[in-house]
Amino acid sequence: MIAVRLRSGATRWPRLFLALAAALSAAPADEVADDFAARAQPFLASYCYDCHDAETKKGGVSLDALREVTADNASLWKRVWEQVALKEMPPPKQSDQPALAQRLEISTWITEGLMQALQDHGGFIDHLRPAKGNHLDHDLLFGSRPKNLQPTSTPARLWRLHPQEQLVRLNDLICLKRPYNPERPGLWTHGDHIPSNLEGEIKVYFGLDQYLTSFDDAYSIGVSGFQSSLSMIRDRGLRNYPFLYSVNSAEALQISGVAEKVLRYMARGPAAEPYQFTDDIEKIPGQYRNLNLIFYGTAIKRPLTPLYELMKNPGVSDDRLSEVIRFLFQALTLRPPSQAETARYLEIVNQSIQEVGKEEGVILGLTPLFLDRDALFRPELCPEGIPDAHGRTLLQGDELALAINAAFSYIVPDADHLKTALAEGHLKTRDDVKREVTRILNDDRIRKPRVLQFFRDFFDYDRAPGICKDRKFLEEEGGHFDTYYAAMLSMVANTDGLIELILQEDKNVLKELLTTNRVIYQPASSGANFRDGILFLTDIAYYMVRGKQWEPLRDFSEIAIPPTSENKLLIERAQREIEQHNMRHHIFPNPSQPIYVRQSPFDKGRFPPAMNALKAITTVDPKERLGILTHPVWLVAHSDAMDNHAILRGRWIRERLLGDAVPDIPITVDAKLPVEPESTLRQRMHVLHAPECWRCHQKMDPLGLPFEMYNQLGLVRDRDKGKPVDASGEITRSGDPALEGPVNSPMEMLQKLAASERVQQVFVRHAFRFWMGRNETINDAPILQEAFQAYRDHGGSMKAILAVLLTSDAFLYRQKFP
Amino acid sequence: MINRREMLSDMAAGLGAMLGSGLIPARAAAPGIAPSSAVGSPKRVIFFLQNHGFDPLTCLPKGLTESCSLAGVALEKPMQALEPYKHRMHVITGLHGRHTNPGHSAYFGALGGCRGGTGVPPAAATIDHALSQVLPQTILPPLCIGMESLESMKARPTLATLTAAGPNQPTFMHCDPNMLYQMLFGSIAEGTIKQHYQARANILRAVERTAQLKSQGLPLAEAERYARYVHGFRDLNGLQEKLSGISDQLRKVAPRPDERYTAPQFETQWHDALLEIGIAALQANLTNVLTIASGCGEYFGSWKGLGIQDTGHGLGHIDQPDSVIWTKIRQYNCEMLVKLMKALEATPEGPGSMMDNTLIVYTSNNGEKQHTDGSNWPFVLLGNAGGRFKTGQHTAVVDRPINDLYATLLHGVGAPVDRFNMDKNLAAVHHSQVGPIEAILR
Repeated sequence: MIAVRLRSGATRWPRLFLALAAALSAAPADEVADDFAARAQPFLASYCYDCHDAETKKGGVSLDALREVTADNASLWKRVWEQVALKEMPPPKQSDQPALAQRLEISTWITEGLMQALQDHGGFIDHLRPAKGNHLDHDLLFGSRPKNLQPTSTPARLWRLHPQEQLVRLNDLICLKRPYNPERPGLWTHGDHIPSNLEGEIKVYFGLDQYLTSFDDAYSIGVSGFQSSLSMIRDRGLRNYPFLYSVNSAEALQISGVAEKVLRYMARGPAAEPYQFTDDIEKIPGQYRNLNLIFYGTAIKRPLTPLYELMKNPGVSDDRLSEVIRFLFQALTLRPPSQAETARYLEIVNQSIQEVGKEEGVILGLTPLFLDRDALFRPELCPEGIPDAHGRTLLQGDELALAINAAFSYIVPDADHLKTALAEGHLKTRDDVKREVTRILNDDRIRKPRVLQFFRDFFDYDRAPGICKDRKFLEEEGGHFDTYYAAMLSMVANTDGLIELILQEDKNVLKELLTTNRVIYQPASSGANFRDGILFLTDIAYYMVRGKQWEPLRDFSEIAIPPTSENKLLIERAQREIEQHNMRHHIFPNPSQPIYVRQSPFDKGRFPPAMNALKAITTVDPKERLGILTHPVWLVAHSDAMDNHAILRGRWIRERLLGDAVPDIPITVDAKLPVEPESTLRQRMHVLHAPECWRCHQKMDPLGLPFEMYNQLGLVRDRDKGKPVDASGEITRSGDPALEGPVNSPMEMLQKLAASERVQQVFVRHAFRFWMGRNETINDAPILQEAFQAYRDHGGSMKAILAVLLTSDAFLYRQKFP
Repeated sequence: MINRREMLSDMAAGLGAMLGSGLIPARAAAPGIAPSSAVGSPKRVIFFLQNHGFDPLTCLPKGLTESCSLAGVALEKPMQALEPYKHRMHVITGLHGRHTNPGHSAYFGALGGCRGGTGVPPAAATIDHALSQVLPQTILPPLCIGMESLESMKARPTLATLTAAGPNQPTFMHCDPNMLYQMLFGSIAEGTIKQHYQARANILRAVERTAQLKSQGLPLAEAERYARYVHGFRDLNGLQEKLSGISDQLRKVAPRPDERYTAPQFETQWHDALLEIGIAALQANLTNVLTIASGCGEYFGSWKGLGIQDTGHGLGHIDQPDSVIWTKIRQYNCEMLVKLMKALEATPEGPGSMMDNTLIVYTSNNGEKQHTDGSNWPFVLLGNAGGRFKTGQHTAVVDRPINDLYATLLHGVGAPVDRFNMDKNLAAVHHSQVGPIEAILR
């Protein structure tokens, strides 16, 4: 039996993370005597002292003086924890190894001790962070099913909204809803995430629907908009765990400022002078034509809400105000307000009206709704409900409905079904949840931005536009500095599109993501590749092979662009420019099909962000690229200002596919490669073969170096610093014998990885973390095994994974701590 | 004076404390009272950034490329208003900001010394925030005001393009003088402004109470996290109380909102009003760093009040030296600088005046011109912040990044750093050196 016990001193730390700790540990806090002597010292004596006592002191580390965890010895204990949890120590070649259960027990003892010891010294939460999820050994979770496990649950909590979630909801208040079109699934639709514009801003705009035209660069100056006021940490990988976020005062103040703007716009429309409204562009007086002004149509084009009605008609009454409050509360929190909540907000608005009159008082008085706890945090608190024998309470009512909804969506697309189910008492049991989850999964009209967000967090390809490239190096590698960032943003949208396509097919999802040779790209003929008559080097250039001529573009008509008015101007201009500049280039030999992706056009200055771009999907030479990890965006996201970053790439595979991790780099290490302009990266990384480096780097570098067949911009290359490219690498210590051994190219490595069950299991672990908002524990093993089984039994279906995860105890039950 | 270690730890707290970082300065300030300290010490820094670039030929005569005293140099026509202040001036040329992606504007890169550009979120705290952390504390964090066309200032009364408290933490500039006035001086105002101020204050208190109500029954761990949210409002309400607490002091310096505020004919009337409020905020010791963004850190702008009919992006395409338009804009900048200096000179502080303890940094948000690669990024320093900075000089720096000047500013105010926002791996590429630019410090 695997027993993980809380320390005897646990009663001393009823602070921030005790509740989490207790929930994430397995057994009740009892029956433990002298902690160190009973639970830690025997382990150290059996496996550590031989090399690490005061006499032997291997690597300068001596452990025999270590006792209970204290603030002073915390950093040493932390190292011990990582070394033991990750099976770095005792050294793998040593035959006498502790059992996995022993490792788990000592690891748990140490992390609990660190939390306790550091609680007044800045705290310790490392082991709860997403990046440390793999410190729980994979074979413990997927080996023979552990016996006598306590049934799992998740701590009751508040989950702060994702910035996208907040923006999508606010956007709904001011923009017309775009219905789902099954013919063109890639189009930006009501409920999708807000795409970034080609300058990287993720922004909601006022007046988008009523916008008519502008002169000069007016669009970007004249149209008001806002970004999310909520922040996210910048770590790689999963980062949306509830315990990481609150809302600080600066954010709250920004939210209240944005709330005012939103309310004013809802009531009165675009903030513009009367001369900025017209129905006839020709009639705009000349004096305004050279200014940075934008013009709106006179017809109202925005959602007309009870607030509009209230402000349009004279007077106020409690009834009318209450209607506005109920509408806004529902829109912002996704649930109806209680009577007490309505009354409270009514009192605030009335007071405000009394102070400054209706016009301003209503606007000011409604801003607090945007700052309601439940407009910024989604509660999973189980205020009612009776705990079961294990102290767990089933989520219910609005909390349950909103938890199901939030697993997919940022809005209430599903209000009718979920609400009805709730109202009629059909949302109470696991079967009820299963019915709703299955229905949502199979309904494409219900947009699922949260699912896409998982893949963004998992792969990290969307970090590419944030990688700052040194101009000199960028240009040497064949890049174009002025368009580089826009190209990266465009390609992030392409990869989003490909992932959504693969999810729609829902067959061997992970294998497809790792090995498909389909890519989405922006064909030259779509028109968006031209700016001021210059070929605008977007994604197309990054799929070239360095040194090869572009192949001729067959025909502009190759891609059937629907002749909507939206496209007409662009098409005409593109045709003109193609002819004028005799630009007939194409790099993809295979037939391509049109596909939409959500992305605004580059011309932010002149056009409103339409958020849709017509692209093409085709296949590339499988000897050159296979899967997301060979997309320029993934490669760039795992590169730095001047070169590839083989370590980061290897680390990604080690963590996200092999389910292993590398301990934090000791602070004494000055991590820097030698500056040798004539040497390849592989040659410069030779310094890492020194024994003190190699212990960790052997887990990363050989997995990252196959990607040296691409340059730092993701272009295929056959020579590197004048020498033939060496794309060899090796998979070691993977835990799967079928994976072990050398590889000659990234393609070979990816094919092997994609075929491995272990890799699929690790993928399931990441999905669990994302949807539960916490790291898995040993108690979650049955859920993980079931989800993997479902994935395999259903031909690699992501839907099957989600159906299991979202009906699991970890998702449905909350543990309430005082 | 705070030492480097403390400063770094403060900055780390600001950058790292995702949960807790907020609007209110980390260290408590004595409300509204100018900190008493030894004669002449750095107390405040003012940044003034003109958009579309700052061509050095609108300041110094052609051919003046070497370091020299300014005593025998006649300033060019656009900047002649500063001629009487030449002995308190330091012109610096030869710095670069190639790594900030300046083109049209480096945005957060201009004061951050990191990669900027449209839509690029700030990668680190900007220099105004870093300085604000180490200068004697004031009630408010750095204050930033932005000047644009009337339509733009109305459509976007607050805007974040230039300054940041940390990575991904942009801070807002204020472009509507009425709103800014209400925020800072609403407690002493009369009539509708007072009413609005009061209404907002009441609402904020109501929000705090509502938030507090919803913390009841939360599990312990969640209660602690949620408390940070509630405490944010407590801090904000505390801020308003602090402002109310110094209303006498505010009354002495507060400008009087008139028709220029409420019914402006030209954008320059709002520009002037914003400057007035900025000066008053300094005089009341509400802030230790004021950043003025003429053109809002972007690449548009409008100065019809000066008789300039052209507006927007096109202004940047004009070659600045000898341009009538750019002479007018630069002259207007200099009038504002003179107004600032006169106001601070007229306000006593210790044995001297506020200006004695002030440094003004005049530059651009994108180097010397539009569509630049940022190879030359001129600066003018005015004042010496308690005698810490050399004046009366032109210093021609040989190709060091603007980051090195920002590190020098930190040295000058007594908070030395090796480098500012410059990764040591990239330092060699950008020719960054450790420590201050010696020619600038006394």
